[in-house]
Amino acid sequence: MGRGFGALLRKDFKLMLSGKFFLLAAGSLLVYSFYINMVYVRLNQEIYPVIVYDPLELQSKGQQPPAIMVESQEELQAKCADAYAVGIDLSAGMTVKDAKIYMVSSGIEQLDALCSAYAQLYYQQNIFQTDTGTVSYDSTNIVGDFTKEAKNRREITCEVLFFELTAVGFLGLAAVLFREKQMGVLRVHGIVPVSCAAFLFSKLLLFFISDLLFAVVLTMVNIGVIEGMIVLPTVLLQAGLLSLIMALLGFLLAVCLPNFRQFSLLYLVLAVFITTPVFLVGQTGISWGWIIYHPMYQLFITMKKAYFGERGAGLGYYCVCVAVIAGLFLLGIWALRREVAKSGGTNNS
Amino acid sequence: MGGLWYQIKSIARDKLCILTFLLPIVVGAAINLLSDMDFSAMNQVTFGIVQQDLGAESVAWLEELGTIAVFSDREALVQAVKEPADSIIGVVRSENSIETMISGDELNIDTEIAGFLPQMYQQRNVAKADITIVPQSSSTNGMKALLIAITVVTAAFMGCTYNAMNIIGEKEDGIAYVNQILPMSAGGYILRKIAIGFIGGMVSTIITALICVRMELEQVFLLLLLIVLSALAAAGVGLLIGDAAKELMVGIVWIKAVMILFLALPILSYLIVPRNSVLFWISYLIPSSAAFYGLMDLQSGSGIGIAEPAALLAHCIFCILGIWVSKRNVGLGLHME
Repeated sequence: MGRGFGALLRKDFKLMLSGKFFLLAAGSLLVYSFYINMVYVRLNQEIYPVIVYDPLELQSKGQQPPAIMVESQEELQAKCADAYAVGIDLSAGMTVKDAKIYMVSSGIEQLDALCSAYAQLYYQQNIFQTDTGTVSYDSTNIVGDFTKEAKNRREITCEVLFFELTAVGFLGLAAVLFREKQMGVLRVHGIVPVSCAAFLFSKLLLFFISDLLFAVVLTMVNIGVIEGMIVLPTVLLQAGLLSLIMALLGFLLAVCLPNFRQFSLLYLVLAVFITTPVFLVGQTGISWGWIIYHPMYQLFITMKKAYFGERGAGLGYYCVCVAVIAGLFLLGIWALRREVAKSGGTNNS
Repeated sequence: MGGLWYQIKSIARDKLCILTFLLPIVVGAAINLLSDMDFSAMNQVTFGIVQQDLGAESVAWLEELGTIAVFSDREALVQAVKEPADSIIGVVRSENSIETMISGDELNIDTEIAGFLPQMYQQRNVAKADITIVPQSSSTNGMKALLIAITVVTAAFMGCTYNAMNIIGEKEDGIAYVNQILPMSAGGYILRKIAIGFIGGMVSTIITALICVRMELEQVFLLLLLIVLSALAAAGVGLLIGDAAKELMVGIVWIKAVMILFLALPILSYLIVPRNSVLFWISYLIPSSAAFYGLMDLQSGSGIGIAEPAALLAHCIFCILGIWVSKRNVGLGLHME
């Protein structure tokens, strides 16, 4: 049994090599890290730009933040057309009541109110220099543990890892199996003294290890070695669970579906339509009540918590995960046996 | 035409394939049914308050500016403010005004709003300027438009996956060798192979778009133009991938890369990269970007420029030329042998 299993491991490893899986993982790692470090950490959104039309030159100098000055009312309106900027038209005269605030609706009433309140405050402070009492920021308390960059790094690393595990785990193991199906390995397997469980287990083990390695490198590279070390134990636990579930799911589907064309289309559907809502909710804070019943959402949120060093899910969550993995494993073996029997071999295990 | 008929017959037997092509339509319909409520919360600022902390007048004032989330005690509010997924600004009472609370990881805009909020509060009853709010030309919801564009582009690029898998499947089965010795021109071959993914992708995309996108009649033609071109480009890219991949597993790797490139990149560059920047123009190199931008523009009612169709057309031509050259070379190679 031991020697047989070693041979299985070697064979699967060679298959993965020939499928260029490690190359793909390294390539994705490079692309993701580049994206995170060059693009994502710099993401930001600035406060509404203020456009001022001031032919009478009423405005005082040195506004904070600086306004964009325009030469005509038309220009003011054109600059505000993006429904984000707010315009202040001072052409009518000196007093507060003469000032006109011009803006294009964002489509949401409250956002418009906020935007116009900001414009009010801006001209009170900067143009008419009214004493507005409290000085900015003094009454803002900062309660979080992360800076914006640290948060962005953790957030996107978590998302990338989640996506990689769902996509590659699902696709990778299935691809190897389809290859073997075509090579006739399943048929040969029927007469080789190796159990179906070992056949599945060796693949699972390899993908599990490679997924964990990927998780370690991705985390270290993108959130830093020391911070990475702190969160890694919990992250790896979640990554391991997710990797096992997705790989087993991919295996099961690959055994059941007759050809890869169908599988790949199904995969596209899974990747796009199942993970997109999860990302939207996890990333933007849109609230969809039903999303908590989405199994991928639970997995995603637990992994996110792990990345932010929060306490993860309770015992119930892990029980369900283990039960799902065990169930999928048994189901996988059952499907594999059926497939082996169908392809003409006798079932020896 | 006979060849094409056989292709269609072969796909008709593949029930799952047809089902997958239908799926974007179902998703499109589902998005259409989702109420606008779900999406409008996205751009809004959320203020978190503690029960019985602020006076009724202050709460009413906050409600005018954003959504309110009420928490039972200060501890719960702090937890919610810390939560990284959303950017709740905590608002609590101070001596004679209000205080704000942020986690320090917010976007600049939220930090600024939190900074200004106490001042806005004190100014709330001061004489107001004359405010003109111009209604937006179209009432399309940004988030919904985004989801619809994703769905439509996915539908179009299903054709790409199908074509790539089709070719790879033929290679694995050895049909590719048979094809090489059949009395068939490179042009005829490409036409037939492209047709299936193209037709499937196009039909699926058009139905999805018809369900989701509401627009004026003259823009429908622009939409159709976009869809036809992007389905053609997608089918072409699929063929190129199928052609380039030597075996199944490599093909899968390709599919994955293509999916990320085709679906994630346009969304990201649309949301992040400023228009008219060099990076934005570079993003047109991905065939789906042009389709995606065009769809977003059409939905916002602003109409599309010449850049989107032109870019898609260039992609179509490039793909077909690429396959044609590659097929010609194969043909020549055989003759040499």
